[in-house]
Amino acid sequence: MVSASDRRYTRRDTVLFVLCLGLSFFGLFSPAPTGHAVADKLRQTVLSPLVWLQTRAEEGRTSRVRFRQVTTERDSTAYLAQFLPSLRAENERLRQLLRLSRRLNTGYVPAEVLHQPQVMDGRTLLLSAGRKQGVSVFSPVVSPEGLIGVVLSVSSQSSIAMSWAHPEFRVSAFTVTGNAFGVVAPSNEGRNGEGALEFRGVPYRDSVPLGTLVLSSGLGGVFPKGVPVGTVIGVVREEAGWERVYRLRPAANPGSAAHVLILVGGRTSDLGPAFPTDSQLEALRLDSIARLRRADSVAQAVRAARAARRDSLKRTSPLQGGGAPSSPILGGNPAALPSLRDSAQ
Amino acid sequence: MSPSRVSKVQLLMVMLLLVVLQFYLRPRLWDARVSPDFLLVALMLFAMRTSPGIAALAGFVVGLIADTLTPARFGAGALAHTLVGYLGSWGRSVFFADNILVNAAFVAAGLWFRDLIVLVSSGTDYRQVVTELTLYSPLQALTTAGFALVVLVTFRSMFSIRLDA
Repeated sequence: MVSASDRRYTRRDTVLFVLCLGLSFFGLFSPAPTGHAVADKLRQTVLSPLVWLQTRAEEGRTSRVRFRQVTTERDSTAYLAQFLPSLRAENERLRQLLRLSRRLNTGYVPAEVLHQPQVMDGRTLLLSAGRKQGVSVFSPVVSPEGLIGVVLSVSSQSSIAMSWAHPEFRVSAFTVTGNAFGVVAPSNEGRNGEGALEFRGVPYRDSVPLGTLVLSSGLGGVFPKGVPVGTVIGVVREEAGWERVYRLRPAANPGSAAHVLILVGGRTSDLGPAFPTDSQLEALRLDSIARLRRADSVAQAVRAARAARRDSLKRTSPLQGGGAPSSPILGGNPAALPSLRDSAQ
Repeated sequence: MSPSRVSKVQLLMVMLLLVVLQFYLRPRLWDARVSPDFLLVALMLFAMRTSPGIAALAGFVVGLIADTLTPARFGAGALAHTLVGYLGSWGRSVFFADNILVNAAFVAAGLWFRDLIVLVSSGTDYRQVVTELTLYSPLQALTTAGFALVVLVTFRSMFSIRLDA
């Protein structure tokens, strides 16, 4: 049997439930503006702390997202900045290669060195130019610094070059002073893991001072004359008083070469002028800077003369009533202009 | 202060904590459609410990908050939460829901039922209703039930009381 308190309790529940349902239906079926007005009122009053709380949370979340974004951007920038020095170095190498190609008096084919992730990479190089580009077996491979090697085999679009680090590599060479001839071969005693060359067969009587540049001699008909091979950095051994073997620091590093020139089109007399020494390069650079400065100053003088001439024409114009005497510097003497133009040219 | 009153105050504090979590933590969580609904957890846990009338009133208040803060049709949330609160309170007496897993299951069922009523009473497109009820609602019910389980285990002593006793 249900007690009076339980009945009252149940009746209260039912009343509350029906009331809530009624209010819900009222809200549901009331016009939309009414519902929005009630919602706005509640948001601005009772629920304002909750809205404030949620706003702070959203701000926190967006701040976190923004922080992540900024961090990502910073990391990307740092990652890109890592490559800037290498890009500059590559640009410089490409410029050197362009300069070399202009200086060469023989045919050439530019090629990229396709380095492989192998330990033997550096002894033989895969080049991106082949028979279609005119490359043939025994074509010399050079970089702006000097001799890299010689082409061993050729396919239609690529070729394999044997670099000076290959044990079978040999090149006939002589010192830049011309007093000693010999054969350059790879050394088995490279320092600090770096490859080195040996200048063998130099007569005992012909001593070669340290720092002497060794060039290819052109004997044998494979390599042209005058391509830098290396610089003398020491004596490896002296054999029985009739021969000295010198250690050379290689002029070019096949391991780091990215772009090379393959010389084609027959042997030429001398490529020495195409590979100037460091002092010659510095002189060339200074000379080109001086030429640029001269051209700038001449162009400036021409501009000044033209401006002065326009000014004097205005002053001497009858409409403006000008009649001031003209000076050659201010453009009063047009005859001065041709000489300036001549000097500019 | 009597032990019963202390428990009621503690329970109120837990409810308040859930409200704060709803408006401060939930926006920072992952996709809002599957993150736990802390207000519904509070409503269900409250409804299962009080009389149906009070539970219906609590549901109405929670629904009104939902209607005010969400762009759904005004009144739909109030209706859905009123029914969920009322049925949750009745369901406890039917299923003898003293087991915390049954409590969590109640929460999951309540959320799915709430979504059904809100979607239908809002005049939502049939395909969207099907998508919501078969994909997002079950996922959200799962996360909400999981969180309710954590609350029940953490505040076990506070939820062992009957507010209508």
